[in-house]
Amino acid sequence: MPDRLVSARGVGHIYGERAAVADVHLNVAAGERVAIAGPNGAGKSTLLRIVATLLRTGTGTLTVLGEELPGGARRARCGIGYLAHDPLAYLDLSPRQNLQVYADLFGVQDADRRIDDLLDRVDLIARADDPVRVLSRGMAQRLALARMLLHGPRLLLLDEPHASLDAAGTALLDAELAAMRTDGRAAVIVTHEVERIASVADRLVVMRRGRIVVDEPVAGRGPAQVRARYEECIA
Amino acid sequence: MSTTVNRPRWTRQLAGLIRKDLRLELRTKETVMAMVLFAIVTLTIMQFGFGTRDDDLTRFTGGLMWVTLAFTAVLGVGRSYVAEREQRVLDGILVSPVPRVVLLAAKAIAIVIYMAITELVVIPLVGIFFVKGPYWDSIGWIALVALIANVCIALSGTLFSGLALFTRARDLILPVLFLPALVPVVIAGAGATHAVVGGAHDMSEYRGYCLFLVGYAILFLLVCIATYDAVFDD
Repeated sequence: MPDRLVSARGVGHIYGERAAVADVHLNVAAGERVAIAGPNGAGKSTLLRIVATLLRTGTGTLTVLGEELPGGARRARCGIGYLAHDPLAYLDLSPRQNLQVYADLFGVQDADRRIDDLLDRVDLIARADDPVRVLSRGMAQRLALARMLLHGPRLLLLDEPHASLDAAGTALLDAELAAMRTDGRAAVIVTHEVERIASVADRLVVMRRGRIVVDEPVAGRGPAQVRARYEECIA
Repeated sequence: MSTTVNRPRWTRQLAGLIRKDLRLELRTKETVMAMVLFAIVTLTIMQFGFGTRDDDLTRFTGGLMWVTLAFTAVLGVGRSYVAEREQRVLDGILVSPVPRVVLLAAKAIAIVIYMAITELVVIPLVGIFFVKGPYWDSIGWIALVALIANVCIALSGTLFSGLALFTRARDLILPVLFLPALVPVVIAGAGATHAVVGGAHDMSEYRGYCLFLVGYAILFLLVCIATYDAVFDD
């Protein structure tokens, strides 16, 4: 597997006549956690969806997990874990049944044991057979966390991951993000919670009007310093 | 991190998606129940609209049955992506390594099953409402042409519902796209039914209509295979 999990060269995407993402150059190496911040409409989520293979890049070249897109999208998807605003779960199925669907789609081996392990980890084992519809928002987002980790992805793509997670889910996610520094995985985290970047990311990328205006290490900065640097970038 | 993934087999993906659709239907009972009720109501209205039970409507049987099934199919196909759309699950499915044609196949198989359940009610009801002559000895032949037509309906319907999925006026777009595509199915289904009911057993005509439907299914299968990646990924 490549050490560079994401390599974007001049990537762009146009909605109608507006360039949502323009001329983006971004590399994400194994073990790296990259936080993307920016004001609303800066193109953060669009960029994440392009890397997740949910949108095609209009310009430039994009390689994800060693596969050039769009041709290698299906192979790349085997190693992508995507956490969105919504849990991406069927509300009328139970957490267990939802995870079974995704286990089938990703070809997870020994799926029943893996599902039980994950449900236990996200503290949903007691509610494993209730419809997702009756779970709280925090529980549903913990299910989303389990879904994202189900197939052991190398690249995690997280869109505002802390926004809907409860305290237990946040602790789990932060532990997962901490573990990936040493195990060769990588994460791209789109967030509005700039102060949190100091604790969950190694690099700060700031986007404005579809373009990356800053891409630099976070190391050694506290939450207040990251916030100050961010404000400076978007001023 | 433990690696738990094999290169996923499409057969497992297909089985998983079909199981999911059937589980959702068993739990909500929204689609099949609506289809069956709609078909019963439509046939009942037609029964009153076409005259009393003393009239022999055998020669209209094929048309009455297949027009009803066509409109019922629009209802069923229109609901085929409702869970994915309303519960915002589609991104989760699309970010998985499932070939888009497997998504189509799973939806198409689910629609074939829903249509078959509807026809279990519609086919006998048509005999009771409209046919005075022999009917029940032809029911096997009618079921066979219905099965072939279901594949046609499912393939074209899944393609058009996939296309309509990404439009704003999807509830209007789908019937506008789908109903014209159903005209050949209605003609062939009605023709094949007419060939075997009321004591007529024109098997040569019946076979011709069935072969036409098989050709239609193959054509739409090829169109689906050629376009379904583009429908979801572009």
